Formats: sequence, structure tokens, C-alpha cells
Amino acid sequence: MVREADLGEKLRGLTSGAAVALRLDPQNYADNYLLALTAAIRDVGADPNTHTIFVSVTNPASLVWTIAQALDIAPERISFVDAISHIMMEFRNPLPNATYLESPRMLENMMLRVEYLLRKHDKQRNLVIVDSVNSLAIHNPAPLLSEFFHIFINNLKARHVLAILLASADETTNTVDQILSLVVDETIDVRVEGDEL
Amino acid sequence: MGGPVAAGSLSDAPARERCRTGIEGLDNILEGGIPKGNTVLVAGSVGTGKTTLTLEFLIRGAEVGERSLFLSVTEATEKLMENMRSFEFFSPALIASGQLTLIDVPVLYAKLGLTQEELGIDEIDALLQTIERLLEETHAQRVVIDSITSLGYRMRREERIRDFMLRLSQMLAHHGCTTLLVSEIGPLPGRYSLHGVEEVVVDGVVLLGNARRQGDILRVLQVIKMRGTSHSRAQYVVEMTPIGLLLAPHLKGDRVEEG
Repeated sequence: MVREADLGEKLRGLTSGAAVALRLDPQNYADNYLLALTAAIRDVGADPNTHTIFVSVTNPASLVWTIAQALDIAPERISFVDAISHIMMEFRNPLPNATYLESPRMLENMMLRVEYLLRKHDKQRNLVIVDSVNSLAIHNPAPLLSEFFHIFINNLKARHVLAILLASADETTNTVDQILSLVVDETIDVRVEGDEL
Repeated sequence: MGGPVAAGSLSDAPARERCRTGIEGLDNILEGGIPKGNTVLVAGSVGTGKTTLTLEFLIRGAEVGERSLFLSVTEATEKLMENMRSFEFFSPALIASGQLTLIDVPVLYAKLGLTQEELGIDEIDALLQTIERLLEETHAQRVVIDSITSLGYRMRREERIRDFMLRLSQMLAHHGCTTLLVSEIGPLPGRYSLHGVEEVVVDGVVLLGNARRQGDILRVLQVIKMRGTSHSRAQYVVEMTPIGLLLAPHLKGDRVEEG
């Protein structure tokens, strides 16, 4: 459905302040996840005037950082707000470029950590990736999550920050769909075709 | 319409000059800052960020050239220095230059010979005179007393505490100081001071506390009262960062609160 180069090019073409959802097909999820990360972190984040802030709720920051290293991303080009390692009890080796939240339910603190990192890395074009809306929906009731995304994404828009929200198509309930439809400008379905990756 | 109107205010009364706290979120809540000359109670239970907030208020003031004075009753100034170093914007030069002064109140007690457990009227007079002398010597425009609760402990009687509070507030206002008084309270709602008299005398009350969400604890801030401004009364979540306190609206979701 989406080629790696096409997705990267599409994301690169988004204007600052845009919010886009990448809806990953659950079949070959790992490949689709890698495709989405490659396009977002490497293709968009490659711009020297961009700093990437990765909000990890699905996988610990250490795992995403391993992928980012494989994509030749320098540590000073990416920061993490990790909201999952604490509750997974995976907190032995904290990353120097990560800040750790005790729980994915601390949504306001998540916003404020992102705010802190945006102020610290004041670039022309910053990128915030949230991985993922579904994981946040596991830990938070729908009204709370809607309120969170409404405030969070509008703040990012006001600051001209590009937001990429990852979501799983299979697990996408009406709730997640409704939230996404409220806050994103565009939804892109991500499914690797054949043996492309 | 009359004079300048505070942003967001429906009042056409002239806006009072502000003392910007330097904490952006709080200044936004207060329509630009604390009205100059106000004495404000910063109330909260243990670990809610009272000292951190007041330290940032003073450092930010000193940074913009306002003389700042911290009277510490409960913590040694060396420990406060350590806390301040966690702020990226703190420079020890502010202290070296006299822009920011930290005073250990127990040292003052010793110098004044206030060794008895209960302070009488004469001892309270001596304490107030010493504080006034400090205000004159430092030309302080911003003052913090941490904590007013600890000062009150040794006065014991409610009428003495009330009298002390009134005289202290008048003195601070006379010197044009914008002041934060730290008030230590228990986790139970409904009171803003241990002795119950402080909140009546002051111009403002900023309440810090903890809110629970499914077992997680969020630090929250709410402005209960602030004379001279039509402030927000909403609750905000506070995050302490090396660039200072950051505030975000406390999300309500489907939360229903009692009371």
C-alpha cells in the first residue's frame, strides 16, 4: 500500500504544525512499524534543522533508540519521553537522551516533558512522534485521552511542530478513530507491500 | 472605558503593576504576575514544590535586577544552594553580587538571643525589627519566608501569630516588597495554614498539592485568592524541570469531584 520512499517523501512534504496519523496494518506489524519509524525518524528527522521528540508508550525508549541508531541517527538529534519503562520494570539503564515518566496515565506531565524538550532544542522545525494512540488508550479513559490530544496537538500546532501519531489499524476502536479524526489533518494507512523492506 | 484593563478581565479598574514571577504558567494565570506589593501565602503539604516555586520566584527576580531576599527557617542555606543549582538559569554570581540574599533564621534567633521555646511580645518585636533591618539593608523587592508556619510555632498563641502576621504584612507592604510566605499544611483540604490566621491577613493564596489518578500522583497548583487581579481558579499540573516550573491544565476527562 505504501512504499518506504513514498511515505518518507509524503511526511517530508508536510508543513510545520501539521498533525498526521500513521495507521499501521496489523499484518506484518513489525515491518509496518519499522517502515513508519524509518520514514518518521530518518526521513523527516534527517533535516539538520529538526529535532525529534519520541514519546514512547508502546516500546521502551531503549528499543526505539536501538532502531534509531541502526538508522544512523545521532543522539543529539532525538530525545525520548518514555512513559512505559517504569511500569514494565525495564529501568536499569536509562538513556542520557531520555526522560522517564512513572506512568502513561500522567498525561499532563507527558505534555510538559515534551514542552521542556521543545524549549531545550529550539529548532526551526521540530517533530513529535507519539507511539502510540492505542497504547495510551489502554491506560486512559476515552474522555481524558480526547481532552489530552485536543490540548496537546493544538499546542504543537501553535508552536509549528509537526506531530506524527502512530496507531494500529486492527486495534483501532471507535474511540481511537474518533480521537484521531478530531486532532489530525490526515490519516495515512501504512502497509508494506510484498517484500519491500 | 477607563484606564488599562488587565487582559481577560471584565473589570474596567486600572490594572495594577505586576511583579512577574518568571514562572510563565503562573504569570499567565495571574494575568501577568503578582500585583506588586502583595503578600501571598504559598500553601501546601510536604513535597508539593513550595520551596522550589519560591526559589524560582527569587532567582527570576534577581536575574532582572530586583533585589531578592530568602529567609529560611526550616532549611540550611547550603541545602537551598544545592536546590538552586538544579536550575539551569541560576548563577552563583547573583548571590556574590548581593542581588540574591539567603538568611538562616535560626542564626538570627541565636544572634538575638531568642533561645526560649516560646516567643513573647518583646521577642516578636525584636524579630520584626531584625526583619525590617534586613529589608532596609538588602533593599529587597522580592521576599520569601520559608516557612511562616515554623515562625508561628514559637509564638504559640493565635492572637500573637495574628498580630505578628498583620505587622509583618504591613511592614513588607510599606517597603514595597512582593512577598511569598510558605505555609506548611497537612494533606487534608479546606485550610491554607496550620494556625488558621495567615490566609486571612495575606493578599493571595497559592495552593500546591497532590492529585491522584488511578494511583499516580500529580503535583497540582491552584490560585485560590489574589487581590488586584481576576485570576484563573482552575487547577494546573506542575512539572519541575531544569528550566523552571512548567504548568499544564489539569485534565478532567470524566472525573467527578466531590465538594
